[in-house]
Amino acid sequence: MTTEMTTVRIRRFNTVDRLFHLFLMLTFLVQSATGFSRLFFTTSWGKSLGQAFGGYETSVNIHKSVGVLMIVGFLIHTVYLMSRVNWKNLPKSIFGPDSLVPNLDDARNFIQGIRWFFGLGSKPTFDRWTYWEKFDYWAVYWGLPLLAVTGLMLMYPLAAARLLPGWTLNIALLLHGAEAILAASYIFIVHFFIGHLRPTSFPMNEAMFAGSVPLEEAMEEKPAWVERLEREGKLDLVNSKPPRRWFRVIYYVFGYTAVISGIYILINGIINGRTVGFH
Amino acid sequence: MNFKMLTGRFIICMNMAFITVLLSHAVSARAQEEVASTLRHYKDQEVITGYYEQYEVMARRQRPRIASPPGLKRTFPYSQTAARVRIRTRLADSHLGIKFYDVLRCEYCHAEQTKDIHSVRAIITCRQCHGGEPIASIGHAYSLLNPIRRHAYVCAKCHEGANPSFATYVVHQPEAGSLTAKREFPILYYTYWFMLVLLVGTLAFFLPHTFLVGFREIVSRLKEKKTDEQNAIEHKPADEITHIDTEDVEDDQRDIESKAEDDITPVDTEDEERDDDRDDNRKD
Repeated sequence: MTTEMTTVRIRRFNTVDRLFHLFLMLTFLVQSATGFSRLFFTTSWGKSLGQAFGGYETSVNIHKSVGVLMIVGFLIHTVYLMSRVNWKNLPKSIFGPDSLVPNLDDARNFIQGIRWFFGLGSKPTFDRWTYWEKFDYWAVYWGLPLLAVTGLMLMYPLAAARLLPGWTLNIALLLHGAEAILAASYIFIVHFFIGHLRPTSFPMNEAMFAGSVPLEEAMEEKPAWVERLEREGKLDLVNSKPPRRWFRVIYYVFGYTAVISGIYILINGIINGRTVGFH
Repeated sequence: MNFKMLTGRFIICMNMAFITVLLSHAVSARAQEEVASTLRHYKDQEVITGYYEQYEVMARRQRPRIASPPGLKRTFPYSQTAARVRIRTRLADSHLGIKFYDVLRCEYCHAEQTKDIHSVRAIITCRQCHGGEPIASIGHAYSLLNPIRRHAYVCAKCHEGANPSFATYVVHQPEAGSLTAKREFPILYYTYWFMLVLLVGTLAFFLPHTFLVGFREIVSRLKEKKTDEQNAIEHKPADEITHIDTEDVEDDQRDIESKAEDDITPVDTEDEERDDDRDDNRKD
């Protein structure tokens, strides 16, 4: 690890991207803790989790406020996303390799990936984003509006009933809970495994916090990306400094706190899952 | 005459006073509204125990408001006993004729109806919405929960400003995935199964997927180690490898690693050198 820190690094996420991720991390964890404490209110675990946020009513209030914060964050992110699109060069910008929009290469890489899993071919040569990273992004991007709309409906049921029939609140509650469970289980299992546990990332994939990756790591994981940067002569442009030691300590502690809280919520949710029905 | 005028004035004054009192009450009616704009734990504010034997009036003996249409009595024999049991949607007392009703509790028969959010979280008792004995059928003209007035008489007690649309929220929602839900609330049923299939589908795909990614990475790392050891035995420095296939990732990486070990020079120069190397190789 120490030699990697001194060699060439490629910038992968800029400061704004990282701040968005940090914001999402914090809000997502608070929302899952307060939301699960409400969902599991009838169990002793749910009650004690609610106590950590100041009791049932307070934790619901926190859930609502942070939810509004998330909606604002989502809107700002969408504006930012629009600013990142190169409007003069539209189709190339959207379906290009630096874009997160799925393209034909992803389909090809996916099929190659399946072959690779079973030893029938070599590892797919990924460009900047692997197809599962793109899935990660879009899963959150469609999940957030769904949670936002149903959440706002449940927050202002009387206003919602003026626009829609009242029984849609039943559906909204079900959708909100089910989507939250889906998001939490995906993040706490799949995303955490990809980011921390798999051999290339273990003990932690630092790209999202440091902002840059060592060239060796990039060449191993994303050879097409490095090749493209080389071909376009952009490799020098993306050289960036290694993260400071204190900064690394901070994000290791922070990242592992997030992982532990996520897994804590997940395990207790599974244990108490039987007691919660969708009535 | 004088006396009559006095009496008349007195009566007018009294009337005025009475109207003033009435008006003042109308003005302050806002102050008498129940303070319940959010979902609250009702037990905090009410003195009822939740056990209806302790405070409720027992069911009255009352005939059902059911009669066969005149003239049809002989054509279609009508049994009042059967009607009492089977048709309970428009009765003044929906529990009329139930044996041992006096000693039963609501959840003895309506167990499913005690599992919803209103009962479990807000701890609202049956009587707070359905009213005291005799509990009228929801279809009965005077029932509190008749759809024509439930939003104002029941929902608005807590949800200030509830309208008829709001009152269509299904309080006793059937269990979302059940066949009862399919029959009574199909949209809920299909939403539930859609979300469940989505959840199970996503996890069923991505759990093995992530596991296989991890597994494959371990395998390729072990292979790399093996080839590295072989190279070490052959004493073949990585720099002397003249032929580098640009698509062979492992070779590329070994090349870089060996270079990095040789000299840890400033970033830019090393990068240029490496680029030159690669270009030369390609020309070859």
